[in-house]
Amino acid sequence: MKISVKIILVIAVITIGIISFLPLHIWAKEHVNSKTGVDDHPLLCTSCHLYITNNKFITAFVNADYLSPINLAAPANGLLYAVAQDKNSLLVVDPEKGKVLESIPIGEHPHSVIVDNACKYAYVSNQWADNVSVIDLQLLKVTDTLKTAGGPAGMALSSNGKSLYVVNSYTSDFSVIDLASGEERKRLVAGNNPTGTGLSPDGKLLYITSRRALVGRYGDTLMSEITVLNDSSQKVINRMNIESAYLMENIDFTPSGDLALFTFIRPKNLVPSIQVEQGFMMTHGIGIIERDRNRVVQLLLDEPGKYYADPFDVVVSKDGKKAFVSNSGVNYISVVDIDSVRKLLSESSPEMLRTFSDHLGISSRFVIKRIQTGWNPKGLAISADGKLLFAAEMLDDKIAVINISSLEVIKDIDLGGPRRITVARQGRRLLNNAGHTFQTQYSCYTCHPDGHEDGLVYNMASKDMGRNVTNTQSLRDISKTAPFKWNGKNLTVYRQDGIRFSTVLTRTEQFSYKDLDAITSYIMTGIKYPPNLQYNPEGKLSEVQLRGKAIFERTADKSGKPIPPNNRCITCHPPPYYTNQKPADVSTLAATDDSILFDTPHLNNIYASPPYLHDGRAKTLEEIWTIFGTSDKHGKVGDMTKIELNELVEYLKSLRAPNYELKNAK
Amino acid sequence: MSKKGILIIFLFSILLTSCSKKIKEGMIVLTQVSHEINNNARSQIVALDYGEPAKPPMILTADLWSARSPEISYDGTSMLFVAKRNENDPWQIWEMQLKDLKKKQITSSSFDCTDPAWLPGEYLVFSQGSIKKSETELSLYVCKKDGSELKQITFDPYDYFSSSVLEDGRITSIRRTPSNEIIIVLRPDGTKAQAFYTGPEGTSVKSSLQQTPEGTIVFTETSGANSDSGDIISIRYSRPLHSRENLTSKTDGDFKDVFPLKSGKLLVSYRFPGNSRYLLGEFDPENRDIRIIYDDPEYDEFEAVVVEARERPKKLPSEVDMGVKTGLLLCQDINYDITAPQFTKLSMHKADRIELQGIDSIFGIVKAEKDGSVYLKVIADTPFRIKTLDKDGVTVHGPGEWIYLRPNERRGCIGCHEDPELVPENKLPLSVRKPPVNVPVHINLVKEKEISLE
Repeated sequence: MKISVKIILVIAVITIGIISFLPLHIWAKEHVNSKTGVDDHPLLCTSCHLYITNNKFITAFVNADYLSPINLAAPANGLLYAVAQDKNSLLVVDPEKGKVLESIPIGEHPHSVIVDNACKYAYVSNQWADNVSVIDLQLLKVTDTLKTAGGPAGMALSSNGKSLYVVNSYTSDFSVIDLASGEERKRLVAGNNPTGTGLSPDGKLLYITSRRALVGRYGDTLMSEITVLNDSSQKVINRMNIESAYLMENIDFTPSGDLALFTFIRPKNLVPSIQVEQGFMMTHGIGIIERDRNRVVQLLLDEPGKYYADPFDVVVSKDGKKAFVSNSGVNYISVVDIDSVRKLLSESSPEMLRTFSDHLGISSRFVIKRIQTGWNPKGLAISADGKLLFAAEMLDDKIAVINISSLEVIKDIDLGGPRRITVARQGRRLLNNAGHTFQTQYSCYTCHPDGHEDGLVYNMASKDMGRNVTNTQSLRDISKTAPFKWNGKNLTVYRQDGIRFSTVLTRTEQFSYKDLDAITSYIMTGIKYPPNLQYNPEGKLSEVQLRGKAIFERTADKSGKPIPPNNRCITCHPPPYYTNQKPADVSTLAATDDSILFDTPHLNNIYASPPYLHDGRAKTLEEIWTIFGTSDKHGKVGDMTKIELNELVEYLKSLRAPNYELKNAK
Repeated sequence: MSKKGILIIFLFSILLTSCSKKIKEGMIVLTQVSHEINNNARSQIVALDYGEPAKPPMILTADLWSARSPEISYDGTSMLFVAKRNENDPWQIWEMQLKDLKKKQITSSSFDCTDPAWLPGEYLVFSQGSIKKSETELSLYVCKKDGSELKQITFDPYDYFSSSVLEDGRITSIRRTPSNEIIIVLRPDGTKAQAFYTGPEGTSVKSSLQQTPEGTIVFTETSGANSDSGDIISIRYSRPLHSRENLTSKTDGDFKDVFPLKSGKLLVSYRFPGNSRYLLGEFDPENRDIRIIYDDPEYDEFEAVVVEARERPKKLPSEVDMGVKTGLLLCQDINYDITAPQFTKLSMHKADRIELQGIDSIFGIVKAEKDGSVYLKVIADTPFRIKTLDKDGVTVHGPGEWIYLRPNERRGCIGCHEDPELVPENKLPLSVRKPPVNVPVHINLVKEKEISLE
């Protein structure tokens, strides 16, 4: 080719490039604006085409399989057992060598591990499989699987070692399993969404904490339950109502057993969300049960300018002098001096103690150190000799080893997860971290534990105080359910978590686009529904549910009169997401609501999201129609009998995650 | 030598000169005031080489009659300062580019503009005087570094000065009332103003607050009535009201300004006991040693800062909407009183209403709900103070200090005599079950911009 032709070609390409740049740029801008719902996106194709795509090849390329250690056990054999929740395995770790010796496959989405006193067996609760894996620690194999109720989490062995107590977080009860037969002998009601449990050192009482508050009307004092079981009679002897607290994740005792310590969050959902300053949104701390005085005292771990968000686990040192609390939302472990707590309890009047439960300065009386850890410290365990504290750094795939006398991190055990931090993993870190909230007062996780919702109704007060209260919505599998928020104002997660989010909620600097990419990626691709084992384990509907399905899909009422399409359940709630993603008025506006339409909510796993309706006024699915929907505007229900309504509700409870529904459709 | 050669040498010498007229990273910039201390004393800003303090300082503001208060930008490339061209001019805010020492005037007010501090996003905050009645008040203003978007952010009849910016993005400033001086913290849009630090009785903060890389905050404080210097005080950001530590209680001499270094040490203006002149020193908070770095016998050395990039504070979002005329205030319980005996929370003499006082008139009386809560819609940017009254109209407490709300600000308080470390109880106030009470109460209707629901 002649040089002149080459030059002409180069000039032509450059000219075409220049001519087409502007229109292309305009098109790209319009395209990106429409897809992200924002107008200041930096025009990175990766935001949508890499990080939130469902394309299998691309997701395999951009994602990685992490371990995510959540809970630990450190028995007398000197080894460490770590539950790798995302790998569905139990890791056997030699803490001295800092090495993983074995990875034992267990059930789906494991939660906790305990080891018996003889170090013969480990028990791992499989939260998404409704069973407990029994692992022979000599063979390093699962030798038995014990059936439980829904969502097994915390566990304890009875004082005689013959029974296993398993807290069922989804069915809000706990199983008493006879270890000789492997049979569940009893199932007793616990608080709402229970998780943690601990047997008192004298072996007499078992305490079970719960995460969700007992369902009540908006405005009622918040109450969460700690259930107390007599170990010898295996009967519930007390249901302690813990006032104004929830998310009580775990509990532990002093060696003498006089004090039980549990973690909690004190939310301010009844106070209009008008500021973050001065603890107007969330506070975090420990509850202390004085067993002799039958009294519960709540003390905050926060400080006036710094909050220690999302306390998860608590363990007491073997000498009973210190307690350690993992503040998972800020990557710290708070060290509590127990003698100072005792002094505070003994010298303070009941009125003073009540004031201390809302006092940010009180932690200076008993918190002696904050130990910085890796990302998202969760489960804690103390070595058998009492010298070391282990902390599962869930989003670092590591275990921190802390010297209990110097209170320094002496090493980090790498469990062998991927070194690369993917965009979605970074998003998960951000969602679980309070660093993007003013003074680290709360993380996304605080109101969305496990990516779900906290069951509370908030007054976001973006307009007026006391009006437009809304029920927290789940973040599970929401990628195809836009728009977001009850009023459907946000078309994308980009918009949802943009500048208005920081103005009215986090009240600090907004996410950078890099962080926004990460958090969007995690929300859009990484938060899954648990399987609906409670109401639809096999994907086959019961007779009752089938009758309910027929009602859900009916086009005529019982007299044969056609139901207008816009008043049929199936019109607004079609599978697989059970939302038509359109705004609707189903006559549920309250006097305190502005006159708006509500985004039709999706119904997957709806059984797990009480209370219901935009303002949480319906405690159960039944109440949506029996109390708050009698006008036949939220579907035609007036002609149904009570039994038929029950059938409809049973069908609604059977709805599963969209991936199952899509499979069914295929 | 040929003409060409002379031209080359000339150009090369210009190049060399321009290279030397540059403030390098790590240099110290400070204010020198001729030792005759009085309000009209001339001052100049100079730069020193930290490594070679014996070298003569570079005078940066020789063409101005007087200059002081250097403040280095977060990226370390430019400097704010205050200056006057002529003796009788008011002080104005200027900016200097450190690479070429080019200056430009930012403010052009007929009042003094002083004490500038950088905000993130090329904004700055400063104090500006204004005539209010017979007195001059110093209010806080913010503007962009080109002088545009000038906005007043404090509206009470108090003086605000010696501002600085915390890592969390909020402004701290000394607020002087007729009865006291305290450190106030507020957002850059003027919202959520609250007390940050109060010293022991009889003390007075004498410098701006400086946050160290470790998160503690240092400043100078005097206990003498008329002294302009004293000790270096350290407080913790996370608990400023109850973490005061005097770092120099056992060090003889006086300290005036303090600037934290990345090494953990502090640059200070220091004078030996019995001496009236301030020198530039480096104070080690670990072993409480002072080392003199620079001493010019003709000048006092003040306000030293180091030229270096620092972490930018958070850029806070703003809820202020200038299209809105009001702000909303919720008080959980007007009877809450931390000073009541035995933490009873209720004072014995119970109030059931509040009186709102404006500068020139009474804004009205608002009855509290049974739970003691009040919910008010107050005309924005207008100072008012609150007095609690019992059912017979007898004063229970107050009036308190002047407060104001910014347009569209929503503010909450626990009670009139709250403990600043206390958080609200999680209860739904009865007052927010009704619309807010307009303040002044004679206003029946506020024609307000329609706010859309989030």
